[in-house]
Parts: sequence; structure tokens; C-alpha cells
Amino acid sequence: MLPGRLLLFELRDGAVLPGFLGRADEPGLRRLIELHDRHVGRRRRELDEALLDERPAGRGRRAFLAATQLLRQDYRASKDAPLKPAEVRRELFTAAAGRPEQRAAVVAEVARHLGASTGDVLGSLFADLPGERRLLEPERPVAPTELALRVNLANVQGLIYRATEVRLALEGNARRVIQHARTRGLICTVAHRHDRAGTASAVSEPLTVVRLSGPFSLFRRTLLYGRALAGLVPQLGWCRRYRLRAFCVLQQGEGTLELRTGDPLLPAPEPPRFDSRLEERFAREFERAAPDWELLREPEPFEAGGALVYPDFLLVNRHDPARRWYLEIVGFWTRDYLVKKLERYRAARLRNLLLAIDSERGCSEEELPADARLVPFRRRVRAEDVLAVIDPA
Amino acid sequence: MELIFHRGTLLLQGELPADLAETLPGVLWDPRVRCHRAPARRYPEIAAALTRRGVRFVDRIRPADRTLPDDPAGRSGPRLRPYQEAALLRWTLAGRRGLVVLPTGAGKTHVGIAAMRHLNRPTLFLVPTRVLMEQWLVRLREAGVDEPGCYGDGRRELKPVTVSTFESGYRWMERLGDRFDLLVVDEVHHFGGGARDEALEMSVAPARLGLTATPPSDEAASRLRSLVGPTVYELAVSDLAGRFLAPFERRRIRVRLTPAERYRYDARMATFRAVSRAFFSGRSDATWPMFVAVASRTEEGRRALRALREARTLLCWPEGKRRAVATLLQRHRDERTLVFTTDNRTAYAIARAHLLMPITCDIGRKERDDVLARFRTGELRAIVSSRVLNEGVDVPDAQVGIVVGGAMGRREHVQRVGRLLRPAPMKRAIVYELVVEDSSEVRRSDQRNLGLAARPPVAV
Repeated sequence: MLPGRLLLFELRDGAVLPGFLGRADEPGLRRLIELHDRHVGRRRRELDEALLDERPAGRGRRAFLAATQLLRQDYRASKDAPLKPAEVRRELFTAAAGRPEQRAAVVAEVARHLGASTGDVLGSLFADLPGERRLLEPERPVAPTELALRVNLANVQGLIYRATEVRLALEGNARRVIQHARTRGLICTVAHRHDRAGTASAVSEPLTVVRLSGPFSLFRRTLLYGRALAGLVPQLGWCRRYRLRAFCVLQQGEGTLELRTGDPLLPAPEPPRFDSRLEERFAREFERAAPDWELLREPEPFEAGGALVYPDFLLVNRHDPARRWYLEIVGFWTRDYLVKKLERYRAARLRNLLLAIDSERGCSEEELPADARLVPFRRRVRAEDVLAVIDPA
Repeated sequence: MELIFHRGTLLLQGELPADLAETLPGVLWDPRVRCHRAPARRYPEIAAALTRRGVRFVDRIRPADRTLPDDPAGRSGPRLRPYQEAALLRWTLAGRRGLVVLPTGAGKTHVGIAAMRHLNRPTLFLVPTRVLMEQWLVRLREAGVDEPGCYGDGRRELKPVTVSTFESGYRWMERLGDRFDLLVVDEVHHFGGGARDEALEMSVAPARLGLTATPPSDEAASRLRSLVGPTVYELAVSDLAGRFLAPFERRRIRVRLTPAERYRYDARMATFRAVSRAFFSGRSDATWPMFVAVASRTEEGRRALRALREARTLLCWPEGKRRAVATLLQRHRDERTLVFTTDNRTAYAIARAHLLMPITCDIGRKERDDVLARFRTGELRAIVSSRVLNEGVDVPDAQVGIVVGGAMGRREHVQRVGRLLRPAPMKRAIVYELVVEDSSEVRRSDQRNLGLAARPPVAV
């Protein structure tokens, strides 16, 4: 994440326009990487001085500084000194106490004591400070194209770090993005939704539009949640389509940042397909046991009674696609929690949702509420139990 | 109806008439979750208002009987000096909300720990830096707190008595906010600016004590009034010097630039002034940040800023200061001496030239603690530092201070001088200030010394 002073953007008519690095910047980035390569083995301070000289004026300056900042993660530095710096400091400064005019004598004395030359003593004195360390080879060579994508990601994350609210329109992977947001304490509300549930095709997915903010955002605009919001950006790359709008409060002014599918940002590593073996095992068994049904994993979340529902599966009958059931697997539960959940679904007239309840993970010795849509299970969700509800014939 | 803590806020869940909800302090309808919500700091007011109106509610926030475990040694808290006692009393009378302003070295830590013992409830100490966090942890252990918890510096341990850095407080108050009944905010003047104030807003703690050596400005004071409370007790350095603080003497040493340095300084300043005068003349509303923003856009402006930077660098460590530091170190060779510089670079230059141990942000915690310990025993006589020692770090009893340069103005200076004022028998502290003649340093020095003046006495 880039710090405020390095952010690349323009503020125009209430819009925050991020400055993306691209093809045209690659020669410059390549030169910058080469400059680092030439300084491998030399002191960090020498690189910093060379960077000061190379630093372009005007528009290219921030991009240069931003890329330099990220390259620090690739080119680490280690200390290189004949003696242990902390030990030299201890010896030298203790020996010098109360003898301010005898510098040369003190240095010579300490050198003798440590069995080294006075040059080694003075050379090691601060060799462990950041500027005195020597640059190491990066673990793998840095490519200009990837560096540009990393700068772009760090830049928009830096902008969103200063965001008070984010709106997202998502298609594909929405579930994961929203779960990600929730585990970070954000409140997701459905702003608006193009629902195509109930149409003939089982494969089409709705476009989910959510608004993300934090509990405290109700009282005033706050940057408390910027970190959590910025953390979502790498996940967006795995959505088939997305559009993000963030209202950012920057030092230079306020404005809306817009990101969309295809923006040149480095995505997160590929998300795992399943949350757990439990889901995976059910999917395998159901596909074998129910040839008449199509199983879709992790369908898009939707709203019911003011809350978002995250079914784990969508089950669609191949002969009659209007017959479709959502299945949600519930881990820990209390009776009260289940009753409220069922009530909410009833109020939202959501009749085709099954809850698979782990009967060993109730929070107390309570009875399950009686409801046809509850499928209790132990260890694994049995395909035949689910079929018994959705396909009683 | 239930009162629930939810990530730094209160949720009022269940049956609550809308007309009643709207009259409760800080309560708003949250359409996102269809529930009434308020900032956590409003908890005591809301609970009181509900009780007053006879509304039945379940308070899920505060188990009524949460008290601190007994101190096995049976200590009731630190022995307080009369003015510390008075400060604590004032705070208690003010409803356990408020700021206590005492000079550095006057024992604010004692007041904070005494407040905790007094209330005997879970307490969170918020402190600005990791260094200070370590120090509070040590003090709390000395005061008989068995295992204080700590948030910051990569650690997250929650205990009934916990110390957290401001930064971690800001990040984790969502989770910490309902765990404590007393907040003690060290160096409280950092709050009230709006930037990290949420850390205080997201806690339910009804009792709040702010500690500082430098009273906040008017604007911040009014914000702090609602976040922590009003100033309930205030004393300045001069109120305590000679009795509870060591008497001290200020000596300004005027340093002349060499002809070559003078030529370079004047040339740089001329370059800078040509541009800055053109910008500021006739514009009463122009500010320094505006100037920097405008100047960085042109080659001429950037040259002017560079010239100013170079001129200031030159003032950090010119020949005359080198000679003065050498002389002073010789004069006070047997006394504990702190040397303060504007920047790390000068600190290292002094360290190399005069073989004094530097304490900077680059020196690790272990080494720093070791150095301070050996400074305490007298094994080391002098330490040089730029900013690290400014605020709070418990530097043992130094007699001589040499201010080679300062960047931060009045507050920094009060903190620095405070390092020398810990009282000791027969002690008389001396603070030397090296000031380059005919330079911007003269005005800066005048300004920073204003912070040391006495304040009107406070009746108790």
C-alpha cells in the first residue's frame, strides 16, 4: 500500500483518476531495476544517493518514488562489517566516557582490545544502520511489467485506504469478496440487484451490487475501515466482472475512485475452490447420486429479509429448470439463531432454501426446531437426505 | 431491549419506541442492520437515560462486578506527592473524567496508576509510542500488576490491565472497546485533532484520565472535553521547579557561522526568499502548505525549497556548534549529559566525532534499554539523540542538556527540558541552547522557550 505522499492520481471534477503505469512506463521501470541491480553488493546509502540524482522532476516523480518503494521489498540489505557493530558501540562509547578530548587514544585502545585495526573499529561502528547495509540480490529477477502491476495495486490500495465507503458491483466470485469483507468487520448491504434467479438457465448469474461500510461509519465519515476495504482489491481480479466505486478523502481533496474489470492491477493468488472438504465431498456424492440434478457451487449471494444469504450450492433440475433449490451448510448454531433465520426466510417468501445443520455442533443441548427445510447431518451431508426433500418422488 | 457492544459501537436491539430512541444521546437508526446504534463512548449516558425513564433493558456490555485481581503485596497504589494527590482528587470530583496537566518529571505515571488502583476496575493505558509502552509495562509491574497485557509492537495480549500504543488502539478498539472501565491516555494532546479520535470514541469506558505536559490548543481542548473531559488540574515547570522538580538554569550560547558558512547560508536563504516573498506578499490567507504545493510545481520553486533545506541542514551542525559541543562536553565530563539534535544525521556525526552513544529510531530496543541502564549507573556519561528521547522515555536523572538544534518547536522543547528536571539532592540542572546568530534559529529559540513559563496557580 503506498503512503499518501506517493499516491498517483488526479483529482478532476470530483473524480479520483488513478495514474496507472503501463507499457509506456516500462523502459523507465527497467532502468530503475537495472540501477538497483548495479548496486547489489554496495551500501544502501549509495543507492539512495544515486536514486536522488536519477529522480525525475514533474509528472514522473511520484511513479519513480512509488516503484522505488516497492523495490525495497525485492532488494533487501544486510550488514557487512568485520566486527559486531553493537559490540563495538558498547566498547567504544563506554571507554570514551569521561574522556572527551582523548578520541584517538580511545579508538586505538578499543581496537587493541578487540584485536582489530582502528579502521575496522570505526568502519563497523554503525555498519548495521539501514543506510550502511549492503544490498542483496533479489530472490527472483524483477520484471518491469509485473512491477507496473504491483505499483498500480499498491496505488489504488493506498487510495482506498483513505476511503469512507465502497460500492461494488460483482459478477462471479461475489461470494468470496463479500465473505472476505465480512470477516474484516465490514457491513455489506445490498444496494441494488439484477436478479435473474428463477429464469430458465441455471448457468446465468446475477450481478450483485453491495455497499460496504463499517459499524462506525453511521456517525461520521471515518477512515477506520480503509485498511479492510483496501484488502478487498486483490480479490476483485477473480471476478468475471466488477465495478468498484470508492469515496476517498485525500489531502488534496475528496472524490470518487472508480475501478473496473480489466484495470491493470496485480490480482491475489488464485482462490481455493472450496471452503472445506465437507462441501467437496457432498458435491462429489450428489453428482453421482442425482443424475437428474445439476449442482452449481458457490452461487452468487442474494438478499432475503434485509440480509444477505450465502448458499453453498444451487441445485437445478435438468428437466424442469424452474425447480431449483439453494443449499446452505450451517456449522455452529443455536436454536434461537435457526428460528430467526427461518423466520426471516419465511418473511422473504424464500421457500426453496435448505439448511444442512451439523447436529454435533449445536452450542447447547437444544432441540432442532421442526422444519422440513432443515437437513441434520453428522460428519457428512448425505446426498440422499437432500434428495428426500427436493425430489420426494 | 438489549444493549450490545458491536465493534466500537452500541446496538440497541429489540423493542425500543422510536420517539424514545431519538432522544437518547448519540443514538441513530442504522438502516443497514435495521437497528438503533450509538458510538460506544455514549454508553454511560445511554444506560443512565434508559434507567431514568424506567426502560427495562439487558445490559450485555458490563458485567457489574468486574474488578481487578488483588495485588498480592496488598499495595494500594503508589505514594503520591501533595500535588499528585490534589490532581487525583480533582479528577475524582470531576466525575472521573478529565485532563491532568503536569510537567515532565512531575510523575504523571504515578497519577495514572493511582487512578487505576483507586477505581479498581479493568484499565486500558493508551500511550503514543512503543518505547513508552515498554516503560508503562515496567512501571505497572513495579506497582504490583502481575501480568499487564499489551497491544502494540506486534504483540496482542488482553489482560484486565493492558497497555496499548495509540496505533494499535486505533486498529483494535473494535475488539477492546467493551473490556475496560477506565482509559488512561498518556500524552493526551495527540488527540482532539480528529485523526485518530475514533480510538477514544469506540470505547465504553465511563472513567477517563488524560495526562500531558502541554495543554492542548483551544480547538483540540473542546474536542478532548467530549472525548476525555475538561482540564481538571494544571501545573507548569516553573510551578514545581526547586521543590518537586530540580531547579534549572538556561544558557543560550550564540554561535557564529564561519565566513564560508555565512556566505553559503545567506546565498541559500536569498534564493529561497526571492520565491517565498513573491508568493506571500499581499496574501494574508496564504499558508506554508499552500506555498509548498505551489512551489513544487515549478523548477524555480523546487530550487527555492531545496535552498531552504540546505540552509537548514547547514544550521544543524556548523563549525561553531562543533567547537561549542566539544567545549561543553569537556566542561561537564563527569556529569550526565543529554545532547539533542535536529536530525539523526547530526546525532551520528556527533556520535562519531565525540564518541557519544546515539539513541535513534535505528537502534534496537534491547540495545537502547542497555544503554539507558548504563547511563543510569554512570558507566556512560553522555547520550546524543534527535527525537527518540523527546517524549516520555524515562531517562534517568541527567544534569546537563545541550540542545544543538530542534525542529519541532515549543512542545518538543518542554519535553526535552523536562528530561533534566527529575529532582535529586543538591541538583541544579543546566540547559545549554546553541543558537546560530543572525539566522532563523534565533526566532525559533525564542518561541520554544515560551512553553516553559509559569501558569497562574490552581487552587485546590
